Amino acid sequence: MSANIMMIAVLLPVLAGVLIPFIPFKKRIWMMGYIEFMVLLTSVLTLFMLLNPPQENFVLFRFTGNLSISFRLDGLGMVFAGILASLWPLATLYSFEYMKHEGHEKYFFMFYVMTYGGTLGIALAEDILTMYFFYEMLTLVTLPLIMHTLSREAILASRTYLYYSLGGAAFAFIGMIFVLTYGTTSVFVPGGVMDMASLGDKTNLLLIIYVLCFCGFSVKAAMWPFSSWLPKAGVAPTPVTALLHAVAVVKAGAFTIIRVTYYSFGTKLLKGTWAQTVVMVLVIITIVYGCSRALKETHIKRRLAWSTVSNLSYILFGVVLMTPLGLVGALSHMVFHAVMKICSFFCAGAVMYKSGKNYVHELGGLGWKMPKVFLIFTISGFALMGVPGLCGFVSKWNLAKAAVESGTSLAYAGVAALLISALLTAIYMITISVRAFFPTKGFDDTAIRDVKDPNWMMTLPLAVFVVAMVVFGLHPQPVLRALESVASVMQ
Amino acid sequence: MTGFLLLPVFLPALTGIFLLISSFLEHVKISRQSGTQEPVRNERAGKGLPVFVGMILVISAAAALWAAWAGDGSVTLFYMMDNIPISFRVDEMGKLFVTILSIVWVLVGVYAFVYMEHEGGEKRFFGLYLLVYGILVALDFAENLVTLYFFYEMMTLASMPLVLHNGSREAIMAALKYLFYSMCGAYLGLFGIFFLYRYCDSLTFTAGGTLNTALASGHQGILLAAVFCMLIGFGAKAGMFPLHAWLPAAHPVAPSPASAVLSSIIVKAGVLAVIRVVYYIVGPGFLRGTWVQTAWMILTLMTVFMGSLLAFREPMLKKRLAYSTVSQVSYILFGLSLLSPAGLEGALLHTVFHAFIKSALFLTAGVFVFQCGKTRVEELRGIGRQMPKTMVCYTFAALALIGIPPASGFISKWYLAQGALGADVGVFRWLGPVVLLVSALLTAGYLLLLTMQGFFPGEKYYEKTSEKQEPPMGMLLVLIAFAVLSVLPGIFPNPLISYVSRIAEILM
Repeated sequence: MSANIMMIAVLLPVLAGVLIPFIPFKKRIWMMGYIEFMVLLTSVLTLFMLLNPPQENFVLFRFTGNLSISFRLDGLGMVFAGILASLWPLATLYSFEYMKHEGHEKYFFMFYVMTYGGTLGIALAEDILTMYFFYEMLTLVTLPLIMHTLSREAILASRTYLYYSLGGAAFAFIGMIFVLTYGTTSVFVPGGVMDMASLGDKTNLLLIIYVLCFCGFSVKAAMWPFSSWLPKAGVAPTPVTALLHAVAVVKAGAFTIIRVTYYSFGTKLLKGTWAQTVVMVLVIITIVYGCSRALKETHIKRRLAWSTVSNLSYILFGVVLMTPLGLVGALSHMVFHAVMKICSFFCAGAVMYKSGKNYVHELGGLGWKMPKVFLIFTISGFALMGVPGLCGFVSKWNLAKAAVESGTSLAYAGVAALLISALLTAIYMITISVRAFFPTKGFDDTAIRDVKDPNWMMTLPLAVFVVAMVVFGLHPQPVLRALESVASVMQ
Repeated sequence: MTGFLLLPVFLPALTGIFLLISSFLEHVKISRQSGTQEPVRNERAGKGLPVFVGMILVISAAAALWAAWAGDGSVTLFYMMDNIPISFRVDEMGKLFVTILSIVWVLVGVYAFVYMEHEGGEKRFFGLYLLVYGILVALDFAENLVTLYFFYEMMTLASMPLVLHNGSREAIMAALKYLFYSMCGAYLGLFGIFFLYRYCDSLTFTAGGTLNTALASGHQGILLAAVFCMLIGFGAKAGMFPLHAWLPAAHPVAPSPASAVLSSIIVKAGVLAVIRVVYYIVGPGFLRGTWVQTAWMILTLMTVFMGSLLAFREPMLKKRLAYSTVSQVSYILFGLSLLSPAGLEGALLHTVFHAFIKSALFLTAGVFVFQCGKTRVEELRGIGRQMPKTMVCYTFAALALIGIPPASGFISKWYLAQGALGADVGVFRWLGPVVLLVSALLTAGYLLLLTMQGFFPGEKYYEKTSEKQEPPMGMLLVLIAFAVLSVLPGIFPNPLISYVSRIAEILM
């Protein structure tokens, strides 16, 4: 299979998205058909590519010298591309139903589909320049999605998002320049591209740059103290918060950090240095901080967003352990958290869509009106808090195993943070379910008399996610094997 | 037939889930039609339900006992991750726990058929009741620590709705408290499991422990801390200080049969987890003489004393019994913390006896609620004249719990005291027995007061309490059975003693 397929997979959704406002669809259903077809086509191409990985790279174009925009599919990219390709069609299906009442659908779907291309670009990037290019593009195409409602709150949120992201990208840019300068090659190499012998007294400088670069990319992964844009961005329509702010965009942040840590700077340079300590402390703080903020928050979507902040740092915690086991833990949480969080967000969105309720204290009795949604929400809550038998336990197990294996006291503190966070997760997720199913006595339900479960376009994705959570929870071995083989090249 | 021991796990669990789904759908339908938001109460189960549930319960209990005593089965269900199987095996400890579990569960089930008519929501209640039974059988038969943890969490989640059964605000708050304390405990346990996974040869339960001394050398500090976390964590379920506060809140608000099993059986899951960790994974030798043992003993003795004291001061009968559970289960934990054969024997004996005694006491409290709606001790003056048979059962159970010979509690306390005196634990050698004795006096105080006021209420109550109010036959028979079970093993203790001393021999 030629490498062209990578270019097609990246460019197809971008072009298909750009065209949406210009095609005069006669009926809404035709537009839906077009969008779903294009998204499915991209997903099929991507999955096909994962099954028959192209060996050679594909150069889109060259700047001066050895700088180019080029693609190559490796194990890590496969994991991220696989997550995207599986979730995007389901999320698109969900958004058709959800976006009915939001308006400006064409523009919404234009950017929504383009984002797919952008994130795939990050997944497939062969070198740090290409990754940076798509990373910036991702910021720009997701900005209008946050602004979508054009309310004052939305505009402020998107402005915050823009400032945070561009600021982060600036730091990332510095990192990129240093990698290009001091690295032996511009492409990603497992284990890093730094030539340890020739670094000499520059080592400390590079560590400083790594921390800056880490912080820059971690803006997208919402690490403390750069996390506040994410809950604010919760004003976006739910499909955006669910797919982009729980999976695609924020995991692109985590993904880029994995790239710079393991494939550019290299764990040989970083492991055991003060730089590792600094980033690990930041990550551990975020794990607890995100959960505590989630506990305080009464707006359902913002609560889930804070929970995302905490969970993304689970992934980063695995990354900064800088061992192959840690990477396995990080990747498994990347995959499993994607499923769990998109599921809980979709449930929250379904509740908002059908009942118009936004706050936890308004949910009384809704559980019996929307039984499917709330049952699934409860299961996703169990998964997030790591009840064994569901997928959250597996990733938590792997992360903790890696941390205990690495044997430093900071890593032990990280394990404790994971478990504290799990406890807080239990509190903020279960209280929602309990309130929905057990309203206070004498509760008057006339206001929600006609609320019902949403139609199949919303429930089908939810059902798929529940099945995935259980299957991954009880039989995670195939996934873990694949992730282990990705991480094994790090030795 | 090695797979046979899956039957008592899956039959009740699946039946329970089926009943729960059916109850859930029914309630959804009701809520659609009428719009009322009263919790599951409006659901009405047919007369067939008790028969059906009873049949499943008896079959499962028979299967569980058969699996426990007739064959040394072991079965691996599936592999969760590499070298982490979810698997079951019958061993001497599991046998003991499954036997108590099955006896108590069936008897309390019979009681509940009558009792739950007045609480409502039977379908959901019995669905959960069966589900929890299946989970507990799995927990008792668990072959390794991860399997145990798996079912431990399941048990928490499945038993939590039993607490919030009546849907009042108080019940919901208590249930959440129960859930969060249990989760906190479970996560502390999990924290330890991560370390044991690293430093033990395997997480499969092996008599004497599987700690890899070569790997662990140099890491004793962190391992001890991890084990201490596990003791606190799993101790939460057993109501040990400092994570005990959920117990007096959660046990009393549940319907009485549920309080009975929560207090007599489900707290013992915490005890079992502690036994498994200490005696089957790290090994008693690793902890003997360390700060962990000392701290553990201090915590248990504090809990014993504090629980009794709080029970003594508590005016609500069910809450008083819940505090009594806090105190009594820590007797068991104290016995375990001695890390000596006699201490272990005493602990196991007390596990058995306390299960029967506490069931009897809670079921009596249930009778008072059921027959006359009285919950405070002071309201129960003269109750002995109204329900003499019930009160006689209560008194026998109370005497057994205090430890008056020849009732059963005496035997276990004797062994516990002997274990403490014989163990090499410094000041605790005499401090332990003293605390146990003081606590026994307090126990006498808080339990026998009811008997005395019940039978001898004073002149002015004689008029009001002349009418007989004995509970229905089904409930009374169960009470009598439990009263007999609380006394009889004290008179004929030998088979049980020889069994637990064999366990102690295997483990030490």
